[in-house]
Amino acid sequence: MASMNPKERRDAFADSMIAEGLLDQQFNQLLMLEEDGGGFLVEVIKLFCDDSERMISELSSLIDQPVVDFQKVGSFVHQLKGSSSSIGAHNIMVACMHFRQFCEQNDKQGCFRALNAVKNEYYRLQAKFNILVQLSREC
Amino acid sequence: MNASSKSIKILLVEDVKINRMVMRMMVKSLGLEMEEAEDGQKAVDYFVGGKKADVVLMDRDMPIMNGHEATRQLRSMGVETPIIVLSADDSQSNRDVFLQAGADEFLQSKPPSRKELVDVLTKYGLY
Repeated sequence: MASMNPKERRDAFADSMIAEGLLDQQFNQLLMLEEDGGGFLVEVIKLFCDDSERMISELSSLIDQPVVDFQKVGSFVHQLKGSSSSIGAHNIMVACMHFRQFCEQNDKQGCFRALNAVKNEYYRLQAKFNILVQLSREC
Repeated sequence: MNASSKSIKILLVEDVKINRMVMRMMVKSLGLEMEEAEDGQKAVDYFVGGKKADVVLMDRDMPIMNGHEATRQLRSMGVETPIIVLSADDSQSNRDVFLQAGADEFLQSKPPSRKELVDVLTKYGLY
C-alpha cells in the first residue's frame, strides 16, 4: 500500500470493506460520484454516521419502554434501512430487515436482539469508516 | 436528446436526508436540475404553488403524507408529469396501489443505479 497514491489507497481500502461484506456495490457508485464533487464522500459518511447514531439512540429508548410503540420502532428501522441502502452498508441493511420482522410480530425480545445486532454492525462499520474518511481527506 | 440540449427538472420526493444527498449528486453528475420535497404533502404543495417539474421521483414511506396518497392527489389535481416510484418494496401489492394511484413507472432498486436512472429518463424523452 505504501507505493500507492492517496486515491489508490482510499479505493483499495474501500475494496477491502466490500470484500469483507461490510459494504456492497452501492458504495462503488458513491466513489464514482466523488470523482465529480470534492468532499461528497466524507460528507455522506458523516451524515450517515450522525443519523445512524441518532436513530440507534432513539431505538434504544423506545425498546426500553415498558410498553413498546412497535409502529414508531418500525419507522426508525425503516429509515435506518433506507440510509444504509443509500450508502451501501449491506450488513446493517440486512440486520434492519430482521429487525423489521420482529417489529411486525410485536416481539420485544426479538427487537432487543435485533437492535444489538444493528449496533454491532454499525460500530464495526464506523471504525472502518473513520479510517476511510482519513484516507479520503488525504486525496 | 441529452441534458445539454434541454433543461430538465426533477422533483425528488424523499424523506431520508442521506437518500436525497446521494440522488442530488447523481442527478448533478448527469447535468440535470433537481428540487426536493421531504414528504408527499410538500410535493403536492409544490404543484399547488404553481411550480413545474418534468418528472417526479416518488418514495413510498414518508411522514405526513406517503407516496401512494401524494401520487393520488397529484393526479386528482390534474398533474400529468410522469411519476416514477423509487421503492425497495417491489411487491405486487405495492406496485398495484401505486399504479392505481396514477404512477407511471416503478424502479425497485433504491437508490437506483446511474444507468437505471438514465434508462428511465430516456424512456420518457428526458435525457
